Amino acid sequence: MDKKDWEECEKKKQEFFSGWQREKADFINYRKKEGERMTEIAEAVKEDLVLRILPILDSFYLAEKTIPANEKEDENLKGLLLIKKQLEELLKSQGIEEIPCNKEFDPCLHEAVGEVMSESEDGTVAEEVEKGYQFKGIVIRPTKVKVYKLKS
Amino acid sequence: MTKVLGIDLGTAITKYASIVNGEPKALENREGSILTPSIVALTKGGERVVGVLAQRQAVTNPKNTVSSVKRFIGRRFSDPEVQKELKLLSYETKERQDGGVEVKMGDKWYTPIEVSAMILQKIKADAEEKLGEKISSVVITCPANFDDSQRKATKAAGEIAGFNVLRVINEPTAAALAYGFGKKEAKKVLVYDFGGGTFDVTILDVSPDTVEVLATGGEAHLGGNDFDQRIIDWVLGEFKKDQGIDLSKDPLALQRLKEAAEKAKTELSSALETNINLPFITSDAEGPKHLDYKLSRAQFESMGKDLVERSIERADKTLKEIKMEKSQVDEIILVGGTTLIPLVRNKVKEFFNKEPNKSINPEEVVAVGAAIEAEILTAKEEGRTPEGDIKSVLLLDVLPLSLGIETYGGVNTIMIAKNTTVPTSQSQVFSTAADNQTSVEISVLQGERPMAHDNRSLGKFVLDGIPPAARGVPQIEVKFDIDANGILTVVALDKATNKSQSIKVGGSIGLSKEEIEKMKKEAEVHAAEDEKKKQLIEVKNAAESLVYSSEKTLKDMGDKVSPDLKKEIEEKVSDLKKAGESDNVEEIRSKTEALSQTLQKIGAQMYNQPKEEEKKNDAPEAETEESKE
Repeated sequence: MDKKDWEECEKKKQEFFSGWQREKADFINYRKKEGERMTEIAEAVKEDLVLRILPILDSFYLAEKTIPANEKEDENLKGLLLIKKQLEELLKSQGIEEIPCNKEFDPCLHEAVGEVMSESEDGTVAEEVEKGYQFKGIVIRPTKVKVYKLKS
Repeated sequence: MTKVLGIDLGTAITKYASIVNGEPKALENREGSILTPSIVALTKGGERVVGVLAQRQAVTNPKNTVSSVKRFIGRRFSDPEVQKELKLLSYETKERQDGGVEVKMGDKWYTPIEVSAMILQKIKADAEEKLGEKISSVVITCPANFDDSQRKATKAAGEIAGFNVLRVINEPTAAALAYGFGKKEAKKVLVYDFGGGTFDVTILDVSPDTVEVLATGGEAHLGGNDFDQRIIDWVLGEFKKDQGIDLSKDPLALQRLKEAAEKAKTELSSALETNINLPFITSDAEGPKHLDYKLSRAQFESMGKDLVERSIERADKTLKEIKMEKSQVDEIILVGGTTLIPLVRNKVKEFFNKEPNKSINPEEVVAVGAAIEAEILTAKEEGRTPEGDIKSVLLLDVLPLSLGIETYGGVNTIMIAKNTTVPTSQSQVFSTAADNQTSVEISVLQGERPMAHDNRSLGKFVLDGIPPAARGVPQIEVKFDIDANGILTVVALDKATNKSQSIKVGGSIGLSKEEIEKMKKEAEVHAAEDEKKKQLIEVKNAAESLVYSSEKTLKDMGDKVSPDLKKEIEEKVSDLKKAGESDNVEEIRSKTEALSQTLQKIGAQMYNQPKEEEKKNDAPEAETEESKE
């Protein structure tokens, strides 16, 4: 083997060896990333499930609203509304927080679904139609609101 | 290596993708969604918002919320089609001095290019945050029927947003690139793009050097929203019939129904039936009213059948325009969320008599293709191999069928599962099945079936010279190793004596495609009965192993056990032995459990009793170690 062959061989070896090292490092890094991704996925799955549970809670709120005043003390109804409370507690324990109802309309937190005519106010929140929720400070569902519109 | 983006700048929705770890991937925006609404707004507070935030405030700020500008980009105000579209808008528009369109937000006028640039700017910021580096080079897609002026305008929008726009390519071309068509041979590709609001069909001639658009067609107002509307109309009709109330007059009820309809549509893509259940939807003098209807996939399909047929007819017409037979189409690509509806897929397949390509998410495929194009162009510029293409040099095979060995009871114990990337190796420790067994036979199997004799035998060898010992005591390590050439080496090593035997199977992966498919099919067909057989053998093995250890325990320390308990154990052992002769899985299992419970009493009776119970695993398995290199 002459010197040139040898150098060629050495070069190849170095190339293969560093390729191998890289591959190994890539794999270790991949595994680390994958670990982070698992956490993300777990949270995404949870969020998805919560988003499917929320309409049930919405229905409870709607139900609660329609109960006539004279039936509010009915023990059966009270019991049913306690189920609503169980749901609320479940979400709270999972770190799901209700978005507090602000007066200022903010598209980061609110979704406008309608307008209410007003003599004095314009662009502020008139009514909360459906509660919004956040998880770890990220809005998973904005609050649906009606917004005041100034009569012109 | 510079990171690049592919951007699918849509009329309603924009998506973007990049190459991550060598794989093209659609990425999420800051709000956590792959889909960014192509909407820009100037809020009442004077702040500019883009995407879902703009969408959320649209109702309360319609005059300053601009959507669908793609319909006007690079077009003349006086164009009759533009005029038609302009009538549908909530925001103000006017003709520019140069004849183009201008839209108003706040008290300023903007061109569609500027508005598109705002959307692209958001994509840039979100991508940089997501990928953690500055992004400059991008490929943007546009419809195949965009003219030169529209393409120039799209490019200008990208440049204003701060991108280096490598190229503006056709959406269907990007889809074909995502699937890698035309790399080796020329192909006629039909791209069937059924989106939320529009339907487009494009026929491409894709070859290694060029992509030629042969024909385009479509309908500007046909899409997934029409399917939603069909469900909504149906529910409204049913509710009116049942309750006499017209919900279409109640905006809040209608909104809940809209969301429910979209959800139902999505669910029916995987389920055969769904429920549209909206309690307290409205109320009248009698009290609250509830809405609860079952919708089957068949019902939904009959509602939307004509919509799908319209799209198929359109595709047919487009083919006829270039006098092409549908049988001449080599590949069909599904693009757009509406192609997730099973009816759409089936009708396309039926019409073309060919399986359409749908393995890449149809909502992401255009952005993914654009990202691939961007990477190829950048790599060429930088004089390197495109990321992700490196694999073609270092091609790694996967194992088409599982490899295993035969273990006690004729069971196929898988050592390396199918679809594992090779080279790889895997080892596991086994033991003997009988007392004083001095040799083991290693039978190497290929296939998915649980019973050894249903699989292909690759070879056998015997490891002997194992020192006599009770069953389950010797440790025989079996190691499977496949090198990059598909050569399998199986080594069995007795850990006590270090004696080993091995076998080399050349080209074990070398089955023909047909053979592999046949074996896989057989495995699927027999899956249920095989599972039963395997279960029975496992249960029998466990029972036998427990009988053995019970008898051994009684023999070794019978004098320390009370006569009552001894008798009880003996009875249960005989019960189990009898049950073991039958093929009744449940009975063997319950008798095993009973004996196991009784055996534990020995432990309770005798204090300081070591190893009163040996492994109850199915011999000869005594798995203690597993390594992967």
